[in-house]
Amino acid sequence: MAYKYYVDNRDFVDALRKTGDVVDVKQEVDWDLELGAIVRRTCELKGPAVFFHNIKDYPGFRAFGAPMATWRRLAVALGLPPESHLKDIVEEWRRRTSGPVYKPEVVDKKDAPCKEIIIEEKDVNLFDLPAPMVHDGDGGRYIGTWHFVVCKDEETGFVNWGMYRQMIFDEKHMTGNVIPASDMGRIFYPKYDAVGKPMSFATVIGPDPLSALASLAPTPLPEPEFAGQLMGEPVKLVKCETCDLYVPATAEIIIEGEVLPKVRLEEAPFGEYTGYRTSPRDKRVVYRVKCITMRKDAIMTVSNMGVPVDEGQLLRSFTLAMDMEQLLKSQGLPVTGVYMWPESTHHLLVVGVKPLYSNIAQQVGSLVLGSKAAMWFHIVVVVDEETDVYSLDDVIHAICTKWHPVRGTILMPEGIGNPLNPFASFQERVEQRSPKVILDCTFPPTWPVTVRPVKVSFSTVYPKEIQEKVLANWENYGFKKQ
Amino acid sequence: MAEFDTFIKTTFEELPMEIEMEGVLRDLTAGRQKYKCLRARFILSKDPNKYPDRLWIRLEKGQVVTTPCSVKVLEVLPPVEA
Repeated sequence: MAYKYYVDNRDFVDALRKTGDVVDVKQEVDWDLELGAIVRRTCELKGPAVFFHNIKDYPGFRAFGAPMATWRRLAVALGLPPESHLKDIVEEWRRRTSGPVYKPEVVDKKDAPCKEIIIEEKDVNLFDLPAPMVHDGDGGRYIGTWHFVVCKDEETGFVNWGMYRQMIFDEKHMTGNVIPASDMGRIFYPKYDAVGKPMSFATVIGPDPLSALASLAPTPLPEPEFAGQLMGEPVKLVKCETCDLYVPATAEIIIEGEVLPKVRLEEAPFGEYTGYRTSPRDKRVVYRVKCITMRKDAIMTVSNMGVPVDEGQLLRSFTLAMDMEQLLKSQGLPVTGVYMWPESTHHLLVVGVKPLYSNIAQQVGSLVLGSKAAMWFHIVVVVDEETDVYSLDDVIHAICTKWHPVRGTILMPEGIGNPLNPFASFQERVEQRSPKVILDCTFPPTWPVTVRPVKVSFSTVYPKEIQEKVLANWENYGFKKQ
Repeated sequence: MAEFDTFIKTTFEELPMEIEMEGVLRDLTAGRQKYKCLRARFILSKDPNKYPDRLWIRLEKGQVVTTPCSVKVLEVLPPVEA
């Protein structure tokens, strides 16, 4: 049975209007920095999404900024009340990702809104789309910020959806950064670029919220099947006009074409999820556009990456933690919870464990840091079961009281990194290497009870009947209801 | 007078001037085509009045150099060689 979800951004925006999580901007807004600045500011204020009705130079188009940059909007996307606690969102995610997997359903072109307008190669001009100049100092207008790129390994049939940033170079070309360790990188570089063969791609701008989530979340499934798993029914796809790729039928704009082998053009810099412009102007992958299809009154979706919190940080942190929890539990390890704060720009993973034996922090830390997802983070904080992994107060307290700066620090001088790490040296960025660290914030299990400190908190040092009495009388004492 | 910018890998002081170069210029003309990239052969000068068009220099991480330069575009090249 299908779960609650929104088939497109239009339904999602309507839902956000009802919950008060989107602001409709009716006055004209300039695509050149003003639109980006508005989206950036609302992200930094943890404010509502923004729906732009009137974009300078682009009558007929709309834009939707910061689609899912708060827990409230993620809750709405998952069909939950906006005020849902993070733990409820986690439970809903676990429920859906442990449910059945569905192969996508292919629909006829006439039933695909993304085919309402078709622009053939000779008429393609990327500047006809309202791609914003997101930040001052960016290398160009980034058309792909809340989108995904579809590609396929023709040898195996494996389909990848991934959010790979894309900059307009000229009317018919885009450039972008494709890290070799990414799924698209592992397909394109050895199987197409190395043998001089162009690779078909389709850029999906304005995907429905769950397809967008599927494209950025780590999963062993092909993303179209993962989207179906999140929806509880098959995602509806339609065939591209110029290649054998399939895209969500309800998306706003589809850009089809080929990634050119052995060709590189200038791309970047770009304000990234780390909160910095780290990658320099350089020659990178080139996309040649052969066709654009879109809905009438199309909506350009815009994520503005920078200092926390934007949707890239929030959603990748959330889904990385969920993926790492699944990995640790699949090994039967005594894990009590896994979390990443979006404010860490998904660089810091907190793992709660029952410290049943010595060196469990090293064991769980090594496992997650050896995983496919480890390119995204380099700090693992391991806490015990009395620490709430979702509570910043609790975790800071654990680091400051249980972590031994010598015994509790497990350094990995070399690991897989990514070129956007601001702290990394130039050489480390180029070679995508990164040191890693595990902070063991558990007391050694070998400590006898006479040595082990006793935690002093409301829940640990008062008898149950006193706790219940205090809680029952809390408002009678004169406090507000908690 | 047209207006362009370009990203450089050196410091501004090390940037070679008054020699023919090949690189990418961004067209800063207001309107829908703003920020279009052009592969081109050009000559630039730190004298803002020497060549017909205005050029702004940006460092490789996007910081703009506030000293205006001038540029003469010799040839616009295809984005991708055939």
